[in-house]
Amino acid sequence: MSSTSQDRAFWRPSAWEAFLVVLVLAAGTWSSILSPYYLNIDQILESSRHFLIPGLLTLGLMIVVVTGEIDISLASTLAVGAVLFAKCSAHDVPIWLATPIVTVICGALGAFNGALVAWLGLPSLAVTLGTMGAYRGLAFIIGSEVGYTDFSDAYLYVGSEEAFGIIPIALIVFAILAIAVGVLMHRTIFGRRCFAIGNNREAAWIAGVNVRRTKIVAYAIAGALAGLAALLWIGQYGSARGDNADGLILLVVTAVVLAGVDINGGKGTTLGVVLALLLLGTLRNGLGLANVPGPTQTVVFGALLVLGVLRPVAMTAIRHARSLRWTRSDRERKPEPAKPVGT
Amino acid sequence: MSSTNAAVGRARRSIADLALRLRLGGVVVFLLLLSAVFATLNPQFLTWQNLAVVASNASILAIVAAAQAVVLLTRNLDVSVGSIMGFAAYLSADYAAHHPTVGAELVIIAICLGAALGLINGLIVAYAKVSPLIATLGTMSLYRGFTYIYAHGQEVTSSKLPHWMLAAVDFRIFGLSTLVIVAIVVVAALGAFLRLFPLGRRIYAVGSNPVASVFYGLRTERVVLFAYVLAGALCGFAGLLYAARVGTVTVILATGWELSSLASAVLGGVSVAGGSGSVAGAALGAVVLSCIDNGLVLLHIPEFWRMFVQGAAIVLAVAVDVAIGAQIRRGLRRQRFGGRLA
Repeated sequence: MSSTSQDRAFWRPSAWEAFLVVLVLAAGTWSSILSPYYLNIDQILESSRHFLIPGLLTLGLMIVVVTGEIDISLASTLAVGAVLFAKCSAHDVPIWLATPIVTVICGALGAFNGALVAWLGLPSLAVTLGTMGAYRGLAFIIGSEVGYTDFSDAYLYVGSEEAFGIIPIALIVFAILAIAVGVLMHRTIFGRRCFAIGNNREAAWIAGVNVRRTKIVAYAIAGALAGLAALLWIGQYGSARGDNADGLILLVVTAVVLAGVDINGGKGTTLGVVLALLLLGTLRNGLGLANVPGPTQTVVFGALLVLGVLRPVAMTAIRHARSLRWTRSDRERKPEPAKPVGT
Repeated sequence: MSSTNAAVGRARRSIADLALRLRLGGVVVFLLLLSAVFATLNPQFLTWQNLAVVASNASILAIVAAAQAVVLLTRNLDVSVGSIMGFAAYLSADYAAHHPTVGAELVIIAICLGAALGLINGLIVAYAKVSPLIATLGTMSLYRGFTYIYAHGQEVTSSKLPHWMLAAVDFRIFGLSTLVIVAIVVVAALGAFLRLFPLGRRIYAVGSNPVASVFYGLRTERVVLFAYVLAGALCGFAGLLYAARVGTVTVILATGWELSSLASAVLGGVSVAGGSGSVAGAALGAVVLSCIDNGLVLLHIPEFWRMFVQGAAIVLAVAVDVAIGAQIRRGLRRQRFGGRLA
């Protein structure tokens, strides 16, 4: 299982990824019919901004989910990152120094989650539910309740400027990080270990994988990516406050599921994540241009999420029906009970 | 032979009992410690009036936490509880606004609305075998979205709600709001149901070992479906209570309650791995959260510390849970294999 997921890196899309491409194209076509303003390179590139911040979180969450865990505290980690950038900016720390500092601190917050999950064996959903609140509180404690808006231009550069006057630099950053995560997950030993743990933790451990360390590293990378997302955040919104990105995690989890990443671990591709983000971005952009109200958009997104999770179920049912034809004994076999969330 | 088996069985049961009691006891001890700290720092905390406020603030959350606990016990999860509350509250309030003469049947309407949404959750989770987190995350935005679409940007103000509804919530017995009494009755009934009725026991059985319960002959799908419907009905009821309490019903009513209900249940010793915990614990967890809120306000500590303290408390509660669980497993093993392995 893991090897198929691994070797299918960027250029050999699976059936689901091909379907996502079709959906993206369909959404794009539909949007351009709905609105004459859609098909404009400036517009499309500009609208991509809305999905770069959740995009970085999605890349990080994917790594964690592939190992069979979950991290719902990532949006709070982003808020901590944003107020840390505000602190650095207030103390005139140069941006080239502030970025690594914030990234490392956010990575440490992620590693703390990972340590609780991997070392103490706590259920990841409950733990990150706790740290979600704790980190959000931490962001307020660091930054107090007042928002910070006096960023120097150097801090805003990455998140707000365009290269060659058209391509947002944030988009370039996202592309580089997406490729990096893709290589990490599909071309390195670390990635192979993540898939192995997600498929069968015991087997991976017996095969000599350091399960604890791998999980902690996965969480740390997710946290670090949330820190980089904070850099894009301050550039895009020009402000930092403890309640930044509140509720964003729902969109991120939606994207991970739509991407075809198995929520129980062991399956998923970076290409799928990028395509899912593209689909969500195109839909939001098109629906927005067509003046579809926000609540209806919420319903569309919720329906997409449910459809996304029903897909593997439908495929299993089809496979099961097929196998029934071959072995009658399969009829006696009970379906496997669902794995508990977050263990 | 049979007598030793019975003895071992009795001992194991007592250990399992002890585990439940330890966890419940843990919450009570934590609650007492917390109260002691707040009371020494601010004597106002321990006044009857203030405790009544704490209890009435906790009451609706206690019902929702109990609903969440029922689902958690089956080794599942419902993050759509807040959206179900909002949906049931808005639709029933809207109905009441258009039918001013509506009586107590409004309660039944709200419960049925909640149960219907719970049924959808249950069907997706139990029969389509979708991961409960993802399924209810999806229905959470679906239900909330439908409420938005239904409301058309309107809200139901308290003047449009039937008078008896608001009066019922404001009524006080010995300074205690009726909400508190309703919550205690609901949680006690639910606890008794889970403990005394076969269906209640099955909820525990399915959560503690789904495979074994299939082999035993339980229809696990039905049990899980029932748990979701029950949770939905309770949330519908809680939604109506909340609507009556706040008076003005908006579409964002009870946003974020999925987290506080989960937090209460986890704090109250309900295991997210299923099969262990009690609704009374979950309700006590809600009281703990309400205590933290109240105490921090009395001590003039900025509101954002609340999130930090709550989050830390959840992590701590989970860690204690896992530690107790490991200890008990060790104890069970020692009993089962006698002194040979111990």
